[in-house]
Amino acid sequence: MTTKTIYDFFTLLKKDYLSFTYRGSFNNSVLAMATDLIKNSMDEEHSRLRNKLSFLMIESFQNIARYADSKSKIIEPSPNSDFFMTRNIGSTFYIISANLIDNDKIDVVRSKLEKVNTLGKRELNKFYREILTNRKMTKKGGAGLGFIEMVRKTRGKLPFDFVKIDDKKSMFFMQIQLTNPNYESIEEKVPLDEAKKIQKLVGKESILMMHKGSFSQDAVGPVLKMVEDNMYSMKLRIQKKVYHFIVEILQNISKHSYPIDGDREGIFLIGVKGGRFNIGTGNYIENKKIENLKMQLEQVNSLSREELNVLYRKYLREGRDTETNSAGLGLIDLARETDKKISYCFNQIDDKYSFFSLTIKF
Amino acid sequence: MLEPLFISKTRNNPEVNLDKQKNYFRISGRSILEDPNKFYMMIYEWLDEYIKNPNPETEFYFDLEYFNSSSARQIMKLIILLENIQKTKNRITIIWLYEEGDEMSEERGEEIKIISKLNFELREYPSDDIDF
Repeated sequence: MTTKTIYDFFTLLKKDYLSFTYRGSFNNSVLAMATDLIKNSMDEEHSRLRNKLSFLMIESFQNIARYADSKSKIIEPSPNSDFFMTRNIGSTFYIISANLIDNDKIDVVRSKLEKVNTLGKRELNKFYREILTNRKMTKKGGAGLGFIEMVRKTRGKLPFDFVKIDDKKSMFFMQIQLTNPNYESIEEKVPLDEAKKIQKLVGKESILMMHKGSFSQDAVGPVLKMVEDNMYSMKLRIQKKVYHFIVEILQNISKHSYPIDGDREGIFLIGVKGGRFNIGTGNYIENKKIENLKMQLEQVNSLSREELNVLYRKYLREGRDTETNSAGLGLIDLARETDKKISYCFNQIDDKYSFFSLTIKF
Repeated sequence: MLEPLFISKTRNNPEVNLDKQKNYFRISGRSILEDPNKFYMMIYEWLDEYIKNPNPETEFYFDLEYFNSSSARQIMKLIILLENIQKTKNRITIIWLYEEGDEMSEERGEEIKIISKLNFELREYPSDDIDF
């Protein structure tokens, strides 16, 4: 992950008011945090969709969990890891799932989906009752009831696709679309192909989690919990470090980003590659603040760990004179805990503000 | 009489338990407040009263699993305030607790020990296998 990756993803998700992408381990506590994160950050005007959205997120997420290679704790995702995404664009929420499926099961799933996608409301209800009374359940539980519920709750179709991986497996993509009925829907629905593109890119970059939205303290808690859940088997030292970076970096977005229409929009990514963690953030910043921030970053990047310790301890004891242009405790602390330099980039948007991206590796 | 100060812990702030009468002083949990000034001001004001007439022996416990950098400065301010006790005939010791294997909390404690002017003891306690 480079600063360019961050900017590219931010651009790719330009229309997303809110989005959350996840490829870690699929358990109930992560699910609870993911629904919390979305519920906490969704716009007030969509509040009536809250319960439906939670329901659909749970259905979709558990669908992945049900078929996932159980018990395997994912630390490092692979390109074909299970994929879950929720995004809000305009008046519509999209929930996208992607998981591996045996090629010989594709026909069954396809025919179920094709059927629910063609039925009208009354036919669906009839079909639903039919399945309920017919006790034939698949071993993994579920005879397409989930699909029917998704269609009933969204009053729309379920776009889906299968992408062949090899002779045995394919990636099964499905997109649930929930639109706020209070809205005159003017925007076109985002095609499933877009999610497929994102899935491919996060796979390539070995990204575990990506969150774009308006950042506040509320986002920190759920993100931390999800990360904790994916680091169970790791050494406490690594866990604490990841934890530390995430707190500092997320609070940095919420504190210093440039608000547009009151939203402190930002993007946050965690990647794991070759046993090393990558954390990246991106947010808008006012152009007039760039020079100062650049100086601070250059300052911490030019100091040795010992020098950073001295500076940190001095500020901890005496406080920092805010008149100086020196970096603050947070930035000094980030710099001294990473083995490498902090990479950063400013992409100018217009004469008022720019996009600031930053990555740390450890 | 200085009333005890008790603040329950939340997702973002630690538990605070300061009781002059029981001679018990402890801050424990995590502190990831984005803007911690207001929270720590309550503790600061209480301690500011306490140091005017402290107990003869004060043992002040910090048991912090995690704190962010803005909280670090606030914690340091409390410790600097407590240094005043040492200037009197009364005794004060900071006891910094950390879980076995938690090198980060240990290092953070060692660092504060270096820059504080107090009796400062680092004390490890066994890991209870509960996630942090």
